[in-house]
Amino acid sequence: MPNSRILGIGRCVPDNVVTNDDMTRWMDTSDEWIQQRTGIRERRFVDRDCGATDLGVVAAREALGRAGVAAEELDLILFATLSPDIEMPSCACLLQEKLGVAGMLAFDIRNQCSGFLYGLSVADNFIRSGTARRVLLVGGEIHSSGIDLSTRGREVAVIFGDGAAAVVLGPSEVEGRGILSTHLHAEGKFAEKLWLEGPDTRHRPRLTEAMLDADIPTVFPRMEGRYVFRHAVTRFPEVIREALDANHLTLEDLSLLIPHQANLRISQMVASSLDLPDSKVFNNIDRYGNTTACSIPLALYEALDAGRVKDGDLLCLAAFGAGFTWASALLRW
Amino acid sequence: MPRSAILGLGDYLPRLVDCGGVSRPVEDPPPGTSVLGLHASRAALESARMSPDDVDFIVFATINPDVTFPGAACYLQDKLGCGTVGSLDVRAQCTGFLCALMVADQFVRNGQYQSVLAVGAELHSVWVDYSEKGIALARLFGDGAGAAIIGPANGDSGILATVLHMDGSRHRQFWCEYPASRQHPTRITKENVRAGKHFPQMDVDDVRSFGLRALPEVVREAAAKADTSLDGVDRFLLSHVLPDVAEATAVDLGVAGRHTNSSAHVGHLGAASLPLTLTQEVRAGRLGPGSTVCLAAAGAGYSWGAAIVRL
Repeated sequence: MPNSRILGIGRCVPDNVVTNDDMTRWMDTSDEWIQQRTGIRERRFVDRDCGATDLGVVAAREALGRAGVAAEELDLILFATLSPDIEMPSCACLLQEKLGVAGMLAFDIRNQCSGFLYGLSVADNFIRSGTARRVLLVGGEIHSSGIDLSTRGREVAVIFGDGAAAVVLGPSEVEGRGILSTHLHAEGKFAEKLWLEGPDTRHRPRLTEAMLDADIPTVFPRMEGRYVFRHAVTRFPEVIREALDANHLTLEDLSLLIPHQANLRISQMVASSLDLPDSKVFNNIDRYGNTTACSIPLALYEALDAGRVKDGDLLCLAAFGAGFTWASALLRW
Repeated sequence: MPRSAILGLGDYLPRLVDCGGVSRPVEDPPPGTSVLGLHASRAALESARMSPDDVDFIVFATINPDVTFPGAACYLQDKLGCGTVGSLDVRAQCTGFLCALMVADQFVRNGQYQSVLAVGAELHSVWVDYSEKGIALARLFGDGAGAAIIGPANGDSGILATVLHMDGSRHRQFWCEYPASRQHPTRITKENVRAGKHFPQMDVDDVRSFGLRALPEVVREAAAKADTSLDGVDRFLLSHVLPDVAEATAVDLGVAGRHTNSSAHVGHLGAASLPLTLTQEVRAGRLGPGSTVCLAAAGAGYSWGAAIVRL
């Protein structure tokens, strides 16, 4: 059974940079407050009608080009998002249309901040079983149209940014190279510590004008930051160690950790609890904010560009977020 | 590579109520889609003689999750009490269960998981438009859930073939546009709601003509992949939002009388329709250990797919 490996990677972020100072136009906040709590300096917001697949298709084309794979060769298209272009059908279907292909299986992974790693695990399993040879996995989000850009929503709104990134996967020709293992977890008990309630299937009808007028509209995400932080700094190290243990490897063997860019303070605490030096952890949340399903491939793209990943390196990708869900993947580059 | 098989099945169908002159299952008050999935999952575990502790992964297919995020799988995992096992939500519309089955099949065949709970559930009734304007479409849909436990096969049983296709170029023929993250600066407005753009829309003629072509085609493709003739299949479970498409498909394939039209009596249950129908067929004694069954669906996306399974 061959491992799967990443054959190519691409990204697309909107041109429009929104600094912390820019955020003060909409809400009572400050650059100092945002940086101190999250490490975020700026993020990208689309400034016109634009869906997750509009960014996703640009990222996908770059990934396909770098992999030397034609869109027609794809056996499977996976799109990880929590902010789909439309309600139904999936972003994967919309992306198919934009890529000008049809026929292959295409579906969405809806696993929030862990979406990219859940998607990576699904892709890996389709390739290892021999069901698919060429898989496109995109993580893409348009958060800016769904957050409450007012003082009422500031705790959540300052964190998130728009973006998309994509990888193309296929079987590895070299034994022991590629994705070594994936590890997926969830704890639904905490679903409502970081969530977007509406529309939902607990109200009939699921969406009304009155819901949009409510004091705290259910159509905006809500978060209990303390809970998320506390669980993240426990689950991240746990799932990173799980991946290493499963492969009989240790933290000393690790070349680079790319954590989901949830909050720089979380990444720093995870690194320190694992005794990982800065040189072994890649962060870029300062420039993009939290782009949920996009953050890991976007960070991997920049780590590769910066020469932080070399052939034979051992990479750990890890995520924690809404659900709660958390996950890791170990890769031999 | 060892095969995977369906080790247990369960369903949940709410009480039938009148919807525009037809009887449809409607869960009232609406408890969230995972609750329907929970009933079906408990029944599936019981039929597999398993406990929630035995489940090592959950795949939930729906177009109507409990909340916008996180996914219905997370809610189900908590309600069922499955520790911290991975809980995946997939969106593959009317072929959602086939997608969940296919995902489960890969994980089990690779040995990554031993017992995967694959669930299809929908709470369509909070989503469709029961007003005079929307009732013609609304009356096609119902609420329900079905679940299957997928694990390593024993003996002759197994998932013999799965095929699943999408064609996004025709997604506007059967879709629901809002909320739409692509709408700047706000993905849902009162104007969108007033215009009814948060309700599903369907071009009935196009959806019918697509189904009439795709459903028979994908059944034949799956049978060929499973290396069986249609005569080697005991029963065909056919799912389409328009009940006449399933009937015409059975005639086209020459299997009329050996087919079950999943939407004939309860309406279209989306991702729930195939696992619910399969559970009902087993309960009715029309299928049992050793039976070979074809599950096929076509619908929004467009999506079309089929599986050949020996029970």
